[in-house]
Amino acid sequence: MKPIFKQISPLISEFVWNSAISDELLQYQLSFKEQLQKEFGREIIELRMGFKTLSVNLAKPSVLPEIENWLNSSKPEESLLCLSEKIWQIPVCYSRDTGRDLELLAKHKSISQEELISKHSRSPYRLHFYGFLPGFMYLNGLPKELHTPRKSIPDRAVPVGSVAIGGSQTGIYPSSSPGGWHLIGQTPISLFDPNLAIPVFASAGERIEFIPVTIQEFEQLKRHPQKPNFR
Amino acid sequence: MIRDIGYLKIMRTGPGTSVQDLGRVGFAQYGVPVSGGLDMRSLSWVNHLLKNKASDAVLEICQPGMKIQFDSPTLIYLAGTKAEIKLNEQLISSYGILEIQENDLLEIGAFLQGSVLYLGIKNGFQSEKIMNSRSWFTGITTSDFAKKGDQIPYFTNQEVPSYTASKAKWNFNRFAEGIIAVYPGPEWELLDHKSRILIESLEFTISNLTNRMAIQLTELLPNSIPEMATAPVFPGTVQLTSGGKLIILMKDAQVTGGYPRILHVSEEALSILAQKNPQQKIRFRLI
Repeated sequence: MKPIFKQISPLISEFVWNSAISDELLQYQLSFKEQLQKEFGREIIELRMGFKTLSVNLAKPSVLPEIENWLNSSKPEESLLCLSEKIWQIPVCYSRDTGRDLELLAKHKSISQEELISKHSRSPYRLHFYGFLPGFMYLNGLPKELHTPRKSIPDRAVPVGSVAIGGSQTGIYPSSSPGGWHLIGQTPISLFDPNLAIPVFASAGERIEFIPVTIQEFEQLKRHPQKPNFR
Repeated sequence: MIRDIGYLKIMRTGPGTSVQDLGRVGFAQYGVPVSGGLDMRSLSWVNHLLKNKASDAVLEICQPGMKIQFDSPTLIYLAGTKAEIKLNEQLISSYGILEIQENDLLEIGAFLQGSVLYLGIKNGFQSEKIMNSRSWFTGITTSDFAKKGDQIPYFTNQEVPSYTASKAKWNFNRFAEGIIAVYPGPEWELLDHKSRILIESLEFTISNLTNRMAIQLTELLPNSIPEMATAPVFPGTVQLTSGGKLIILMKDAQVTGGYPRILHVSEEALSILAQKNPQQKIRFRLI
């Protein structure tokens, strides 16, 4: 699973893997990223991940040929890292008051709200990378039955902490923003703190599990904020 | 050296006034946009002429009709748009170092050319620094855009500027420049031949949908590229939406996106683009 190398501008390049989004691909991406940082850390200003990509922002263009040479001689299989076993437990209150589209989405899927909640919270999701908003996690693993096209007219304001479904993805809005996903619940947990050296708690490769909580538990956690637990 | 803090008070401002510097580098991995000055060339020029550090923060002004007051002495410098500037109700030439005295009033009137004005101040604005940058951004800094009554801190400066016979020259020709140098984007090869020809030959119009996040162009292009798995994007990335719209990402853009990235604007051309107004025309030139 060797990526293709593409230069975009003198300082920005990208590695692309032409395979389906999976844990295995993520494992290759993260291992590759680690190796790249080890080899060229001083020349790299920033690395950004996508589902099938890793982009590199270089300090100077002169290092490009070296990176290409390194890629040609690299053996990705030999330095493969394991994905983290850590699973973060995110309390979510699935209800009409905290997820205004829950009722309609269940109806649209011809299932009960309880079934929708149980399908959404049954298995953990894999965190691939952050994007869209500061602290927004791109998660993989939404059951096929829950895939839903995005709203044709986005909502002007989605409340902070909203748990939502859009296309083949699910996610949590770390801040209030406009958004086109279907809102099914809300977490009282804070997902992003700009005053911390590392403003998020979970890293790419770790997993996220949604734990259904009652509105009372939700209100209490809102009043007494807690850091999320992991297992 | 003990430095006294002074404040710039916003008496009146249009939308889109913010503190900006070189931006936040290294935090895209947490979903944080780069931010920083839209027209990096003007921003650097301002700091250079004030003998500031390159990383010092300036005020970025995106609308005419602004009135500010300084509560203590300093030096300022304006660059970017060509604008009508009044100091204590007297019309002045806007290009040169201005000595500011206690309670001086500065008014920024019509923009004659360009669309973004930079106000640099000796030693830079001293608003909060978060993630190595003072650039304002929603959810990161306390302020996102300046409002009437806001006070922005700076260090008082009593230094008298050393005048030279020649005034620093600023080239206004860049406002007339309509050619935008672009690299082919990662998804350029997925475009059909006809679309590529159209992109290279058509004249495009800057639409009214223009802000610190993106500039949308008016003309639509046929798009047959399917939506793709979310991938990294940068200031300068040109996206082609499923509806055929072209969106040029600017400094406050998201760090990832799902639309095909057909072009990438060169750094120099991005500063030129930042000074364009709605209805102005541009052409892309591939490099």
